[in-house]
Amino acid sequence: MFKTILQVAYRNAYLRKSRALLLILMIGLSMGVMVSIEGLYDGMSMNMIDRTKRSDSGEISLYANKYRLEHVIKYRISDADKKVLALQKITGVTEALYRLEVDGLAQTARKSKPSILLGIDLDDEKKFGKFEEFLKEGELDFGKNSAFIGGGLAKKLKVKIGSKVIFTAQDSQNEIKSIALRIRAIIRSSNINFDERALYIPRGEAARFLSVKQNSATQIALRTDETHTPTLQTTLQAKYPKLSVYTFAQLYPQLQQMQTMMDVFNTITFMIVMIVVFIGILGVMYVSILDRIREFGILLSIGYAYRYIRYQIMIEALLLGLAGYFLGLFVGLLILSYLTYQGLDLTLFAEGMEAFGMSSVIYASIKSSYFISTLFAIIIASLLSVVLPLRKIKKLNPVEVIRSAG
Amino acid sequence: MIQLKGVNKYFYQGEPREVHALRDIDLTIEKGEFSVISGTSGCGKTTLLNAIGVLDSISDGEIILDGKEIANLSAEAKTEIRLHEIGFVFQAYNLVPVLTAEENIGLIMRMQGFDDAQISQRVREIATLLQIDDKLDSLPNLLSGGQQQRVAVARAVASKPKIILADEPTANLDSSNSKALMNMMQTLNEKEGVTILFASHDNYVVESVRRIIRLDDGALVT
Repeated sequence: MFKTILQVAYRNAYLRKSRALLLILMIGLSMGVMVSIEGLYDGMSMNMIDRTKRSDSGEISLYANKYRLEHVIKYRISDADKKVLALQKITGVTEALYRLEVDGLAQTARKSKPSILLGIDLDDEKKFGKFEEFLKEGELDFGKNSAFIGGGLAKKLKVKIGSKVIFTAQDSQNEIKSIALRIRAIIRSSNINFDERALYIPRGEAARFLSVKQNSATQIALRTDETHTPTLQTTLQAKYPKLSVYTFAQLYPQLQQMQTMMDVFNTITFMIVMIVVFIGILGVMYVSILDRIREFGILLSIGYAYRYIRYQIMIEALLLGLAGYFLGLFVGLLILSYLTYQGLDLTLFAEGMEAFGMSSVIYASIKSSYFISTLFAIIIASLLSVVLPLRKIKKLNPVEVIRSAG
Repeated sequence: MIQLKGVNKYFYQGEPREVHALRDIDLTIEKGEFSVISGTSGCGKTTLLNAIGVLDSISDGEIILDGKEIANLSAEAKTEIRLHEIGFVFQAYNLVPVLTAEENIGLIMRMQGFDDAQISQRVREIATLLQIDDKLDSLPNLLSGGQQQRVAVARAVASKPKIILADEPTANLDSSNSKALMNMMQTLNEKEGVTILFASHDNYVVESVRRIIRLDDGALVT
């Protein structure tokens, strides 16, 4: 019997070809656009999170106790090189490095801005976060007394490649010291903290400038396998009680919040599209059932059980919904593939986007969850859309239908 | 085989516009009968047929099919009775438009759980008898009115029900098709032993049957 029900449902679903095609197109296109928006939103937030991890925190960062509160060089990590070596051996840690950072004032002949001096090891940074990808202008080569500068800070100070900047800060002995630096590169990491404030110099030079040992650090950052992060935090905190261990989410709660907001946007978009799908299928099924009300009355009168009609209608709605889903899957994959590899170029709005820490080219992400959740939602929307039409059939009096048919 | 005892049917019971459609009907339909309920338009023929087919409820009385009272069963049980015990032929054919003639004829057997081979064999047997075996692959909209009605008869008879109730089956047919249909139904009655009860005021139907049950204003005329 199921074969017959399926046969009847299939033929009825596509009996009115233009109506069915319109509905399938509507579902397919709206789903395609919806998953593309989801992918772009996710891509945007994931890109920001990824760049922030690569340019700063990693998945986990360690600081000397009190450093995060006081932000003074007095609270620094000693023997950072040995600690990094030890940390690299821990399961789940994929990369580790240390940095030396100090707050101070950057100035040119005309302007001055509060900024930070960041002592880095270029090779370590390249391994840790593909630092070379952040280069906007100039070359990644520290010569003598040279520095890289964050794009935002360069703009504020109106400096270019080759310009000179004086950085002044208090060293570990509380002496006010200055260093003259020639700009070799402009960096755009999409991490506002650094783009708007940072001057990068070699870590050794930073140590000499601050009168601290070469293996001193203010931060040790780790790239970890995400699944290990929570347990690693606990393990490291126990192993290094004199250090404070933070996860990315603790260091950048606003980015986590942004991702939650993107999820909310995605959920709203998803719900709107599913309501459209629901109304679309409901409309088509309702009209189709009204067209065939006599047929159902006759079927009921010859002994066709109501449950068979229910299955038939549900299958009809599912066939339409699923056809739309597969079209949407194709359209969505097509758009997302393009946006994943080519990205959405918003160079026109680059300044505004970079001010928010976003790259001007947004790359989408593709997650199977977009398609799985949509599949379930379309199945549910299809099944819900037939509740009302089925109630109409349930109330049907076959005798009246036969009488009107005669 | 089918017994009606003191059957009454009221429409709008208790309201000023109350209609007493069936009045104290006592009737027995024996196995193998080829009968018609006849009478003027509005006398209650279809109402009586629908009551026998448990399509419509009755106000009081009993309808007994093979010793079992069927008028007061639940809706689901009545659906089962209609599926397994009774075949229907309607004035307007009422075939499923998306199924071929063959699928329409086999529909009730499929609902009853017969397998493909049994259905196919029976469908071909009945289609040959009703001379529509060359139309089995056609959809209803490609068949003439007479052919559609024969498919409807084949559908009703294929599952070998205890009784076939045919409500004005010739009303939409021209005289030659009416004659052909009645001849075929007579053949079915004789060859298959199917009990057939018509409701009709068509003279040709009335003249073709062996028993005429006359109704006047809802009451049997003796």
